Amino acid sequence: MAADRSRMGCCWLFLFVFSSSQCLSSGADKSSRKLSMELNPGYPSKPHGGDLLHIRALGDNDTLHFLFCSQGAPTLLLVHTNTTTSTVKVDWDKFVERNTTGSLKVEPESSILYSNALVITRLLEYNDINDTAIPTSDLFPPYDLQNFLWARLNLSAPSAQLCGTPNSTNGSLCVELTAFETEGRSSSWPRLLHNTDSSQLTVSIDGLSPRASHSRFLLEVQAVSGASSLRQVDEIQSIDDEFTPSIFKVYQWVSSVNGSSDVLGFVQWKPVAYRKTNAALEDATPCRHSSPEQQNGTVTAVASGLIRAFYGESPETFGLNVSFGLSGDPFYNSTQFLSWTLLVGVGSPPVESFSPLVITIMAAGLGAPFVFLLLGGIFVCVRKKTGTSTTAYEPIN
Amino acid sequence: MADLEERQSLLGDEDEGSFTGRPTAKGPGKPLPAICDPSHLLHRIVVLVFMCFLGFGSYFCYDNPAALQTQVLQDMNLNTAQFMQLYAWYSWPNVVLCFLGGFLLDRVFGIRLGTIIFSLFVCGGQIIFATGALVNHFWLMEVGRFVFGIGGESLAVAQNTYAVNWFKGKELNLVFGLQLSMARLGSTVNMNIMGWVYGKVADLVGSTGHTALGAALMIASVTCLFSLLCALVLGLLDRRAEKILHKEQGSTGDVIKLTDVKDFPVSLWLIFIICVCYYVAIFPFIGLGQVFFIEKFGFSPAQARAVNSIVYIISAPASPVLGFMVDKTGRNVVWVIFAVVTTLAAHMMLAFTFWNPWIAMSLLGISYSLLACALWPMVAFVVPEHQLGTAYGFMQSIQNLGLALIAMAAGAILDNRGYLVLEVFFCACICSECCLFVHCMQVDLHQTLMSEFFVTVCFFPILVCFAVALMAVVMLYFVDYLKGKSVDCSHEPPLLQL
Repeated sequence: MAADRSRMGCCWLFLFVFSSSQCLSSGADKSSRKLSMELNPGYPSKPHGGDLLHIRALGDNDTLHFLFCSQGAPTLLLVHTNTTTSTVKVDWDKFVERNTTGSLKVEPESSILYSNALVITRLLEYNDINDTAIPTSDLFPPYDLQNFLWARLNLSAPSAQLCGTPNSTNGSLCVELTAFETEGRSSSWPRLLHNTDSSQLTVSIDGLSPRASHSRFLLEVQAVSGASSLRQVDEIQSIDDEFTPSIFKVYQWVSSVNGSSDVLGFVQWKPVAYRKTNAALEDATPCRHSSPEQQNGTVTAVASGLIRAFYGESPETFGLNVSFGLSGDPFYNSTQFLSWTLLVGVGSPPVESFSPLVITIMAAGLGAPFVFLLLGGIFVCVRKKTGTSTTAYEPIN
Repeated sequence: MADLEERQSLLGDEDEGSFTGRPTAKGPGKPLPAICDPSHLLHRIVVLVFMCFLGFGSYFCYDNPAALQTQVLQDMNLNTAQFMQLYAWYSWPNVVLCFLGGFLLDRVFGIRLGTIIFSLFVCGGQIIFATGALVNHFWLMEVGRFVFGIGGESLAVAQNTYAVNWFKGKELNLVFGLQLSMARLGSTVNMNIMGWVYGKVADLVGSTGHTALGAALMIASVTCLFSLLCALVLGLLDRRAEKILHKEQGSTGDVIKLTDVKDFPVSLWLIFIICVCYYVAIFPFIGLGQVFFIEKFGFSPAQARAVNSIVYIISAPASPVLGFMVDKTGRNVVWVIFAVVTTLAAHMMLAFTFWNPWIAMSLLGISYSLLACALWPMVAFVVPEHQLGTAYGFMQSIQNLGLALIAMAAGAILDNRGYLVLEVFFCACICSECCLFVHCMQVDLHQTLMSEFFVTVCFFPILVCFAVALMAVVMLYFVDYLKGKSVDCSHEPPLLQL
């Protein structure tokens, strides 16, 4: 009888694990996209002032255009269209001059569902002499990324790397863009979950000479959006840090309230940066961000050629700062390296769920003892009752 | 309660026989004042004071490197990995040395001489460590830590043995509680005072640097000298008590042999395993906890440090109180089970909820203190007196081994899979313990079922097969239960009467 019960418990456990992992694997089965990359579409050589990369992500009945440009500050533009035949048209003469609107178009224009762009505008540095990690007013003069010397894009499908150096000092700031054919995670931390409607940007600062021994950095990013602006940052908490050890939060900078179904575009990141290229856990450094504030769109349009070409002279712009390091963390000087990863996409941001591994461990490690102790307890009690009753009746028999 | 009385009367008889009554045999008309009478409570309290301060020096100096971490790193020009070597040189040799120390205590030195020797090692080690800093040779500091380690852990074993010799059947749980709180006090005082001492010394010397560091560490070694003094006094008092009470060491004439280890009672092995399983779910977690509180609960680094240290802070005042409570109520095993279940609850709270971690960590602090003062005295009731040192030494050795291995495993799990999986792993460790208890009672009833016991021992290292083995153990319990139907649940198995 005991064995029967135990076996039942066993079956139940396996059923649970099996079904839950089934659920997850079926959930992971999503649409895929076909990627094609083109550097400087329609331009015969290297354009003056910076490259333009076009990644075309072809879905079943829509197309997502990723445009990554170093004309001015590094900019990523996502344009989502509802046909499979939409194209990108660049008027190169005007585009390179950077002073006219409409030199880059996605055609047909009526097919555009949504577009948003992210510009990495400035890198700020401050001397954190008291180790508070609170950027005060005594910031060093910021690095304007539009004034960096940007090298040519280094392509290695499905990603592209853009590196630039400031005029004044040595060291570099690199931005790596990766687009995805299928849903998944990249192999390096923070292993953000991405879907096919998103692309991943990794910003890394490498070897840039700090201007003080206690230097910490901030990165200013700005978002421009065609339809509804990215106005707020939502925080999503999870008890699961399996894929990004020690990080329990995801921040989503979204275009509408509380991640309801009408989210059109998002920027998502985990509040962590890494202080080494091949990071281990101790190289993780927490990040904080300021709340998004409206910026002067004209300035953004001047900073980024792609923004002016696509959105015009004065688009609605929101910006925020991300600061790296908390009080007590090692300063930038210790490794002279920082890398931070974010996801830019259209539609709703991908949502994390427990991995089959975690569910299995939880079920096996915690469920089993409880089930067995419970069954054992019930069994012992039942046995005890029947036991005492038989002894009570025995003398009569 | 009945078993408590039974226990007290039983042990009382035995002890009264050996303590009181004898002085009269020594010579009539010489009644000793209470404070000088070894059989009197007042005298035992005096002994207790020395016993507590016996370990103070080693606990104080053990954490010297941590208290002066930045200074050591700067003055000796080290990186963190090298710095961690200072702790590695202490802990790794102790995986073996504690056991050896305990055995030597039983077999060669005897408790009194052994304690003095180990105290000398502690003193010498600290002085070498400080000298290493003075002359700016890091290798000498490592040697110092090694020598310090030889003495330190074995001294703890000696301290436990002393406690049992003097307090068995009386206030043993309380004494273990007090010793734990003394250990905490030692490291807390160290953490708070060493930075200040270093600052003062640096002012005197004129600059920071290895000389100031060495001088500060030399000053710290005064606590070790103080402990050595305690060891000497304790030795004298113990010899005096032995003379007065005609209590001879190893009175049964039994001498421990190394082979006795394999004949340790099954209950003792179970206590060892419980000890390891429990401590690995506490210390490695506290070691890795700070980032967890910052990231998961949004604490500031200072708050995170505070919540992380609450376990130790609580244990300092709570363990004597809880020890007293266990003394009064008896039933150590029930209290241990209670502590384990509470710990499990605390870990699950941390893993699966966003509840304020102060709750879970305070709970962890209380259960840790409860376990420490209820589990360690249990050893005294399952092994004969002449094996005590060896048993405690062995317990400490495998605890060190378990901690060292699990700390590495925990680091690897955290690096690759994060805190949730780590917490689940700790929960699994504790769960396995719960099942051991179920098993523990069973084994006690059927001591002959050695095969069953080995099933339990073998499954622990392979936690991967945890669930399967768990089922096996619990199944065995049921099977056993079916076989031995006569077992009355209301009757407590022997171990529960401790």
